[in-house]
Amino acid sequence: MGVASLVSTIFDLKPSGLARWLLVLCLKLLAAGCATKQVEVEGNFPTPLLDPLPIKLGVIYPSAFAKHEFFDEAKGRAESDWLVKTGEAQVAFWDILFGGMFDEVVHIRDWETVQNRGQELDGVLIPAIADLQYTIPTHTNVKIYEIWMRYEFRLVDIAAIHQQEDGALSFNSDNSLSAWPITAYGKTPTAFLQTDEEAVNLAAVVALRDAGAHFVTSFGATPDVALWLDGIARRGQDAVRSPNEVTRDTEPVTEPTQAPSSAEDETSTGEAQ
Amino acid sequence: MSGQHIEQQSARNAGLVLLALLLGGCVNATVDEMTYNEPVAGIGESSVVILGRRHKPDYDTEFDFIECIGDHIHSGDPSIEVINEITFINKFYPWFEPRTAPLQPQTIDQLMQLRPVAERISEMNLEYMIWIDGNTENTESTGSMSCGIGPGVAGCFGFGTWGTESEYEATIWDFTNKVEVGRVSAQTSGQNYMPAVVVPIPIIAPVQGTACDSLGDQLLEYLSAHH
Repeated sequence: MGVASLVSTIFDLKPSGLARWLLVLCLKLLAAGCATKQVEVEGNFPTPLLDPLPIKLGVIYPSAFAKHEFFDEAKGRAESDWLVKTGEAQVAFWDILFGGMFDEVVHIRDWETVQNRGQELDGVLIPAIADLQYTIPTHTNVKIYEIWMRYEFRLVDIAAIHQQEDGALSFNSDNSLSAWPITAYGKTPTAFLQTDEEAVNLAAVVALRDAGAHFVTSFGATPDVALWLDGIARRGQDAVRSPNEVTRDTEPVTEPTQAPSSAEDETSTGEAQ
Repeated sequence: MSGQHIEQQSARNAGLVLLALLLGGCVNATVDEMTYNEPVAGIGESSVVILGRRHKPDYDTEFDFIECIGDHIHSGDPSIEVINEITFINKFYPWFEPRTAPLQPQTIDQLMQLRPVAERISEMNLEYMIWIDGNTENTESTGSMSCGIGPGVAGCFGFGTWGTESEYEATIWDFTNKVEVGRVSAQTSGQNYMPAVVVPIPIIAPVQGTACDSLGDQLLEYLSAHH
């Protein structure tokens, strides 16, 4: 029995069938080099294991965030255009994270929500993606797919939210309580039978998880956020005191000498004062 | 008709056996072990989790390697409960992500100050946490192969060879006493070959599998009362 017939017997393919299969494979490989590679990021995101902060937080996802996508044009014949859509995954991920991190989260999508529920909110968080970069092995010759993101988070008072003439919501940056960046990085190594798209998706999911971890660990440590948390904690304490005590203690909140690392730390600072 | 079918079946089986025999290469393995405070009676009803290190910029410890070690330990002593790595990381999100995972056993105390984390650890009856750091890489390759295709015929001819190296270190943390109680490392290497006469036939050295077995055996010896 010849090698070719042995092979065809093993793989259950006739020689002409094998040739056709190889031809189709070659054509697919050629076509893959020209087409735009598109990734719509998908993943299952876990609920964070946290004691929720006693805060009612409004969240606005601007359309640039909720529909975020990243397009990179090919720089040569050997490369492909890339379109990475992260918007839906961003909203899904941050919804789960904020839901586990704060007592109550109110999505602010229109002016009606601002008017009806604005007074009960402690603040409004507005995330934005400032930058997204990616690398794949054809760019770097390293067998790793990487995604790097930089977010800009802004915390504003409800009074800063306005309605534009077209009905869209905007905010006055002068009324901003805090603004801080969060960077995130995700990587995944090349794997057998894994396409470029699957690997970039996985790297994006890792980057989202990293963004969440960074947000959770740095939220209370951001000085302006810590002050804001201090104010909420004091209001909470005042609410449970007798009216006479409240009258006596309505001094303006002084700045702490050292930024607390978390809301719980700051609560104890308030008691000490 | 029936005889022809049997002949084809036999040829296919013979081919598969031949391939299976060829697919095993040679592997060199070196294992180092330094452990103390071994649980003489085994870990009993407690559980163990095996986690990969993924905070280095140039490599990640492979998820399937961690799963392989867990399976090796559980199959060696079914009484040992090995918690699935991904399940564990998701249950404790975001405290075991590459950015936040504890690098020293002394930092477990900080983690246990978080009430939900402490409660979940207690629910799981977690006694040992094993961190695996390392990866498997292909090294130098030589040889050449050319493939052609024509009407009704296609094939390759040539010979290629490349090396594979694995280097892993397991660090065992006693989660109750918050101390490191041992380190086990395994270095394995092997050479892979790919002769091609019409069809390329890879002869792959099971480098990562040998590293998994070597580390798994040492960890099993530490954790189990029966080994």
